[in-house]
Amino acid sequence: MANIAAQRIKREFREVVTSEEVQRCAIKLELVNDSFTELRGEIGGPPDTPYEGANYVLEIKVPETYPFNPPKVRFVTKIWHPNISSVTGAICLDILKDQWAAAMTLRTVLLSLQALLAAAEPDDPQDAVVARQYKEKNDLFRLTARHWGAAYAGGPDRNSDFENKIRRLLDMGVEEHKARVALSSYDWDLERATEQLFS
Amino acid sequence: MATSSGSEPGPSREGEENKEKDERMFECNICLDTARDAVVSMCGHLFCWPCLHQWLDTRPNRQVCPVCKAVISKDKVIPLYGRGSGKQEDPRNKVPPRPPGHRTEPENTNGFPGFGFGDGGFQMSFGIGAFPFSFFTSSFNFGEPRPNPAPVGTPQFGEEQFLSRVFLYIACVFILWLLLA
Ligand SMILES: [Zn+2]
Ligand SMILES: [Zn+2]
Repeated sequence: MANIAAQRIKREFREVVTSEEVQRCAIKLELVNDSFTELRGEIGGPPDTPYEGANYVLEIKVPETYPFNPPKVRFVTKIWHPNISSVTGAICLDILKDQWAAAMTLRTVLLSLQALLAAAEPDDPQDAVVARQYKEKNDLFRLTARHWGAAYAGGPDRNSDFENKIRRLLDMGVEEHKARVALSSYDWDLERATEQLFS
Repeated sequence: MATSSGSEPGPSREGEENKEKDERMFECNICLDTARDAVVSMCGHLFCWPCLHQWLDTRPNRQVCPVCKAVISKDKVIPLYGRGSGKQEDPRNKVPPRPPGHRTEPENTNGFPGFGFGDGGFQMSFGIGAFPFSFFTSSFNFGEPRPNPAPVGTPQFGEEQFLSRVFLYIACVFILWLLLA
């Protein structure tokens, strides 16, 4: 059966590489090893979202039972999104779980993830902290997501206000990513973030 | 006429592209290869039978079409028999046999009695039933005579004699057939 998996990935790989989405730089697929069991995906942030202009790298692991079971996909690039863990990059998306169908391909998975960036499902969250912010302070959520895109995914607009707060924590000896997570989680309230970091 | 090799690359390449497109139309939606032991679901999606079987086995609680997620089941798929199919059976194919096609015989509108095979069967049973009756009544005449026995010598009498001999002959043939079969 592993033979089907490898055979199919080969075909899919060819399909993605020649697809028009690649020419628009929207999705990308690369082989990590020769056995077609691990690939590296890349998706561009959709327009009119906080992720616009940023590029997100994905780790794709193809199980032996593919395509009867879904590939295991995870964000390598850190991202602020209700359905993606800001810690591990784990994704909460139905088609990667029980809604998977054998006719889906890596191309449709990448496009679905892109669609997920454009339309979050805060009621079915992977990251509860992000989901709460998304629902209660959506403007702040959008600024935070854009800031993370600039910090980790080559996106524009780092947001000087957020940068200054991070620098304050760096001066106190806090590691940059830790500082960003603490501030993001406490809605950029420097006092509460500091309290949490030093408690 | 000389074959113009390479003088017209345009049309031939187009033809090849079309051919590739045609072939892709018959790709299995699961393995993306040309469908072998092809079956089509009620929603019209094409698969290899081994591929679809494995998909349905992987998710016994969620029997849906891998393409459109319509509800499907193993006994509601239609096998596709192309010309020359069924010749090469893959011996590695250890999944249950592909479900058979459902076919209904067309309504019998045969206008010539005694022409088809079915009518032959009817004649046989008629022969058995009629033989003893006519044999006993016309040859031995024991028991009650028939209501209107035809007088000897009339054409009707001869006809009846002939008929009973025909029945006797049919019966003999039938018994012979029973013994041989
Ligand atoms: Zn197949
Ligand atoms: Zn279907």
